[in-house]
Amino acid sequence: MGSVLTVRQLSEQLRGTVERSFPYVWVQGEVASVSRPPSGHVYFSLKEEECLLNCVWFRGRQKDEAFDPMTGEVWEDGPHPCLARTLEAGQTLICAGRLCLYASRSQYQLTVDLAQAAGKGLWHQQFEALKRRLFDEGLFAQEHKRPIPQNPVRVAVVTAPKGAAIRDFIRISNERGTGAQIRIFPTLVQGDEAPPLIAEALRHAALPSGDGWLPEVIVLIRGGGSVQDLWAFNDERVARAVFDSPVPVLTGIGHEIDLSITDLAADFSAATPSHTAQMLWTERSHLLRRLTAIEDNLLQAMDHALERCSTQAERLVHTLKLLSPSMRLQEKASALDNAVRRMDAVLNASLSLNAQAIERLTLSLAHSSSRPERLAPELNAMTHRLWRAGESLFSEKEKQAERAAAPLASLGRHIGSTQERRAAELAARLLGLDPFEPLKRGYAFVQSKNGAFLRSVLQIHSGNAIDVRMGDGVVHALVESVENKQ
Amino acid sequence: MKKKEPAFEERLERLQAIVNKLEAGNSSLEESVALYKEGLEHAAACRKQLEQARHEIQICTEEGLAPFSETADTAEEESKSDTQQF
Repeated sequence: MGSVLTVRQLSEQLRGTVERSFPYVWVQGEVASVSRPPSGHVYFSLKEEECLLNCVWFRGRQKDEAFDPMTGEVWEDGPHPCLARTLEAGQTLICAGRLCLYASRSQYQLTVDLAQAAGKGLWHQQFEALKRRLFDEGLFAQEHKRPIPQNPVRVAVVTAPKGAAIRDFIRISNERGTGAQIRIFPTLVQGDEAPPLIAEALRHAALPSGDGWLPEVIVLIRGGGSVQDLWAFNDERVARAVFDSPVPVLTGIGHEIDLSITDLAADFSAATPSHTAQMLWTERSHLLRRLTAIEDNLLQAMDHALERCSTQAERLVHTLKLLSPSMRLQEKASALDNAVRRMDAVLNASLSLNAQAIERLTLSLAHSSSRPERLAPELNAMTHRLWRAGESLFSEKEKQAERAAAPLASLGRHIGSTQERRAAELAARLLGLDPFEPLKRGYAFVQSKNGAFLRSVLQIHSGNAIDVRMGDGVVHALVESVENKQ
Repeated sequence: MKKKEPAFEERLERLQAIVNKLEAGNSSLEESVALYKEGLEHAAACRKQLEQARHEIQICTEEGLAPFSETADTAEEESKSDTQQF
């Protein structure tokens, strides 16, 4: 839930809402009750069936009409008396005005500006008709709108010289712009005579003055007021004068909720007179801020420019120094120095490298030459040990050999005797195998002459010479005959 | 119509152009100094214009131009005392 409103807060919010939503209304209804107190105000109500609207017509708003406020047409039968005086119950009226809330009484009512008997040439109908006609004619067309110059130095103002509008306009202007020439073209701004005067003032303002002065823009302003007060600006003559002006016209008529036919015909319509001044000129404090910012930029830019130039100068001086003969000489000298230094350095480096190598070699030489002396005793000891080891190994092996030889010898002897016996045996057997042995026992070999032993009678033929070997000699025989017993 | 010095806006634009040119950084020292001097003059003139800015307000009467002074009598449109009474 929202916060709780106080009575005053609610009343104020209601008033704001109603007055904003119905800034200006046309209402038709039947007059129900009329009261005319001595103050001159007229109180009445409009009703329609169950609904009732309280109305007040203040004395100050009750005006006789010399001519039709819509068309500017003069009543030929003389000024019409204000309807307020003839108002009576039962009439059907169309009233125009503003809705007002009275918080003290929890009431609202219509503050009447205009009233007309219904069906008798309605103002708002005429207003709409004129608007339609001028619209069709192109007076409001966007393509005819000219731009309003910004920060003009010559401005014509068409208005009442003693109105609130010019006061507001000057008050706002004084905080703005850089000094302009403002010329006021005075005119009436309300009432029956106003429209032709306004139109004339507009034409006058757009003409060059005797001193050749011509405005860049014409401002047509009028302070807030009732619908009737502002009615002059719904006049066709005024609207046409605005449209026909050779100089752009900026209007500021009434309050922002009021939109007149003149506003529609203008090049631009500001909300109020103050607003026209705001539209024309920039605030002076804003201009000052802008100027200050640009000044700062100027100082900064100059600082940079100086810095840039001095850097450039320094660079040039430096370059010049570099290019001078003495500088070149110095350069060569230093190059020479450099070369010498580098040569020295290389030499030194290589010398020191060599020296190091020599030193290293010397060192290692010294080291190595010292070794025999250091090793001799060790060598001796080792030689000795080797020698002893050799000796003991040798005697050991000798003993081993001896130990091994003993069985070998006995084996040899054994083998020897065995072989001896075996030899005797073999000799004996060999003797048994001697082919000549049987010869001693009577046997004989038969051999051919060529020495071949003959084993068969088939080898022998009669007449062959054969040898018959016997134990004690050989018989050379001739074969008489051969007898084959098989 | 009297011959007027450049309008504030014109001066301000010129001043901005000078700043832009200086910032671009392709002016010689002499040019830069000249631009800066010109810029300072414009800035001073602008400042003076702002300080002294007054609208010249005149009214065209049948006798010709006259200085306009706001009179206290501005009751013409202020007929609202009736409204307050209610």
